[in-house]
Amino acid sequence: MSEKSGISSKYRKVAYYPGCALEGTGHAYNRSTKAVGKALGLDLVELKNWNCCGAMEVKNIDPKLQTFLSARNLKIAEEMGFATVMAPCNGCYHNLKKAEYDLAHDPATRETVEMLSAKAGDVAYQPGHVSTIHALDWIREAIGEEGLRARVRNSLKGLKIANYYGCMYTRPRHIFPEKDQGPGSESTNAPHFMDDLLAAAGAENVEYPLKTACCGGAHTLSDSNTSTRLVLNLLTTAEACGADVIATECPTCHSGLELHQARAAKVFGTVTHVKILYFTQLLGMALGLSARRVGVHENLSDARDLLRARGLG
Amino acid sequence: MPIHEKSLIRPESLLRQEKLVLDGVDVSGDWSTFIESRVVTDYNEQMEEEIAALPGGEFIHRCWQCGSCTNSCTVNAINPEFNPRYWIYLIRLGMEQELLRDKDIIWQCVSCNKCTYACPRDVMPEGVMKATAHWLELKGHTTPSPAMVFDEVFSDQVFATGKIEEGRLMRGFFARTGQKLTEDWFVRLIRGLVTRLPLGLLARLGWAAVRHPRTRGWRRRRQAMTDYVAEQQVMHRAALRLPPATERRR
Repeated sequence: MSEKSGISSKYRKVAYYPGCALEGTGHAYNRSTKAVGKALGLDLVELKNWNCCGAMEVKNIDPKLQTFLSARNLKIAEEMGFATVMAPCNGCYHNLKKAEYDLAHDPATRETVEMLSAKAGDVAYQPGHVSTIHALDWIREAIGEEGLRARVRNSLKGLKIANYYGCMYTRPRHIFPEKDQGPGSESTNAPHFMDDLLAAAGAENVEYPLKTACCGGAHTLSDSNTSTRLVLNLLTTAEACGADVIATECPTCHSGLELHQARAAKVFGTVTHVKILYFTQLLGMALGLSARRVGVHENLSDARDLLRARGLG
Repeated sequence: MPIHEKSLIRPESLLRQEKLVLDGVDVSGDWSTFIESRVVTDYNEQMEEEIAALPGGEFIHRCWQCGSCTNSCTVNAINPEFNPRYWIYLIRLGMEQELLRDKDIIWQCVSCNKCTYACPRDVMPEGVMKATAHWLELKGHTTPSPAMVFDEVFSDQVFATGKIEEGRLMRGFFARTGQKLTEDWFVRLIRGLVTRLPLGLLARLGWAAVRHPRTRGWRRRRQAMTDYVAEQQVMHRAALRLPPATERRR
């Protein structure tokens, strides 16, 4: 940490991989992530001419193609001179981590990626050059809980939050070698980085047992009833835990929760009132940014009344 | 009762006798229920190898039937028939007919990876579910599931442009599955959003839908990837002892 700013130099300036969802349905996440970075004095440099990470869908067609797609983004970060790339989307984050792991541990994957890269006219990415971090790691590492607490201008005091991490941030364990390393590291079983940050911003985190349960995001459209049931479980549990807001860190989870909250009301007749906000939106407002600046009006789940009533935004 | 004997007590295998005399003794009432005798002979001895030849199925041989996968499974919690451990058991034994009873739900795996997280033998059951769904389709046991269609529409767009534009993805998926985009709860939701969104963002999203965001210089990568997919499809069919495909489905 540099003495004056309290900002860790390691993550002061990192490569930024928004991914496809953050340019569409997850636009509010993109907007709030950038706004929070700016408010904290951190620099995000977007990867030049990036491509889709392969998501779950290309992986289902062939996992090695997904590795090829993700590895190309890692190569771009390397060529731009970055040792760290930050991906706020759980899917992108997961895939870049998985590509790094598979390239380092599976010779068959490395061979296929090298073959595909050669055909495509690219230089293949070699593992070990770029590490991928999530937006949570980024803020927590660069600013820290103490640093955040010192910068809060509009405390989230009184806001009860259920922190929802989803599947891709912690599973499977082997692609996240830095997690489960004892005190200070993230836990794959009971993740807490988002809880820590929001607590530092003044929020009251509720005990939420479904932090890493599945929202059914993979089948949002192809098996809507399963997704709606899974989401409804998340929503009703959050309400039972006393939460006003579910904080999310993934555009697929976020839009899944919003869409299926509306669908559940219509199709199953179960109405839930808990609001869904990206954790970056909550942090942004705590840092004194307006609700509009962090894109609250872009969410399907309209939280503006709740936030106004709590004196936020 | 071991999991693989479950089939013996299905309602259609139970024989009920109202009146029963055995060796001259009337045992009606005491011995009213029997199970049909059954000998399994129709094994597909290649089944495990076939699944292992498809992406995700590589480590099925490691399974020792502890049941951690089913115990942790998201879908099993809402549908007890969804049972990865049982399916892995059937595949390893080659009990194809028994597996086919569940052919229409295997694709419903949501890839939450709880099974892969819980598995003490690194079987990667999530991958096995994908391989099995893929196998069912290649063998002609099922038509392409909605999830598989979604994967294909999605991947085709990534191969073509390098990126995903969600509006186009949804239209493509609904067109191929013959669904309407106009369910009233969905329309109301979008309408509510549109009244709140700033004009600038709306214009941007509209422009993206027309222009299709794409990665520059993608042509050679597209070629490399689509060639690879075609090669893999040939290999998969050969591993399953299927004749070469006459045409690509898409």
